[in-house]
Amino acid sequence: MTAFWFAALAVLLAGPVPALLARARWTWQVPRAALVLWQAVALAAVLATLGAGLSSLTMLFTEQPGLPFLARHGLAQTTLIGLGTGFVAVVTVRFWAVAALVAVRTRRRRRRHREMVDLLHHRDASAAVDRALLGEAGARVLRVLTGPARVAYCVPGVGGNRVVISDAVLRELSPEEVGAVLAHEQAHLRARHDLVLEAFTVLHAAFPRVVSSRAALDTVRLLVEMLADDAARRRTGSLPLARALVQLASAPGEGAGGQGELRVGADALTRVRRLAQAQPGADRRPPHRGLAAGAYAAAVGVLGLPTLAIAVPWLSASWRALAG
Amino acid sequence: MALGELERDVMDRLWAAGTPLTVREVHEQLAAHRKIAYTTVMTVLDRLAKKGVVRQAREGRAFRYSPSASREQMVAGLMLDALGGVDAVDTRQAALVHFVGGVSPAEAAALRDALDALSRPQAPSGGETAPAP
Repeated sequence: MTAFWFAALAVLLAGPVPALLARARWTWQVPRAALVLWQAVALAAVLATLGAGLSSLTMLFTEQPGLPFLARHGLAQTTLIGLGTGFVAVVTVRFWAVAALVAVRTRRRRRRHREMVDLLHHRDASAAVDRALLGEAGARVLRVLTGPARVAYCVPGVGGNRVVISDAVLRELSPEEVGAVLAHEQAHLRARHDLVLEAFTVLHAAFPRVVSSRAALDTVRLLVEMLADDAARRRTGSLPLARALVQLASAPGEGAGGQGELRVGADALTRVRRLAQAQPGADRRPPHRGLAAGAYAAAVGVLGLPTLAIAVPWLSASWRALAG
Repeated sequence: MALGELERDVMDRLWAAGTPLTVREVHEQLAAHRKIAYTTVMTVLDRLAKKGVVRQAREGRAFRYSPSASREQMVAGLMLDALGGVDAVDTRQAALVHFVGGVSPAEAAALRDALDALSRPQAPSGGETAPAP
């Protein structure tokens, strides 16, 4: 029975719950709390899957040991338990294999990228900007590329953070707008947003269909951007940030983009609208305390309640059966 | 950091030279401006070759070094890599965190054009740091 509850919970947490949460607009008001909730849901889904596998496996050993398994449960139930355990094993192995693969690829790509931006860094172009806007610490991580495209991104990692920006951005944006972009990227680096994104990238890469991993990844990505937006807004104000977003997101070739392009534009639009809607005082103190508290409570609940209701009774029963 | 600066400096010399240089030639150029050991230059060139940005060719008993691509080509390639094409959700995206996602099709096309134009004729290219034909 435990296995059934775990499995039901896993299905719920992998499908409908993320799908609903992805559609919830209130999460935009409290991105930090919403991200905690998202991680709790994902972790709970993984744990529930693991629990379903382990608990069906323990049935082999804990119920009336001595009798042959087939005689105890009958053919149908034995097959079901076997299939269930096998499925969970496959899912678990797949998750960790993909996690390892993504981790290795991500770090290799970052190292390569870091080497290249260090090599191609155009110091003269950045000299005017970096000291004034970033201070010494910020200037050490800034890299300027001289090239045709407008890029602004960060390369996170233990090997050294980099904030990369192209000279086209420096030319087209005002100093305040550049400052907003840099503040945004530094917020990503400080809070290690890349780790959250990596975890959800792994979930999506491992289980691209059936479960709502795509919606989860897209939403988490947007929430992470909003969180960095909030940090940048506290430093530079909403207006320069919104102007920078509009400039860098605006696509000159209208209509030529594929579906991916439309989504990206939609995200930028969402962020700009959100900045515009925020009250003037919101730059300083975080509003929506109740909403945030609710999201944190839900995060604790989604991890804690199944543990109390399913895992603890099951574990103690298993312990008694094994010990007695 | 100092090593990074030195690598940039060496690359600039190789791009400016237009022809493959030996370690001794690079060392002579650098030594005109700063105190630097011959072995340091050798190490830097070796590192650059390992990174794949410098080509090593044996000539007699010495090695000659040349950039594997022009500076413009490398920047364009790096930008394409950073922008990751049009597909927004692939595992590559986890590596970098963008200010605003994706690239406009026009920009992607412009980058590819720039790369194509640069890689088609082997010798001539327009940039100031590119090797002269």
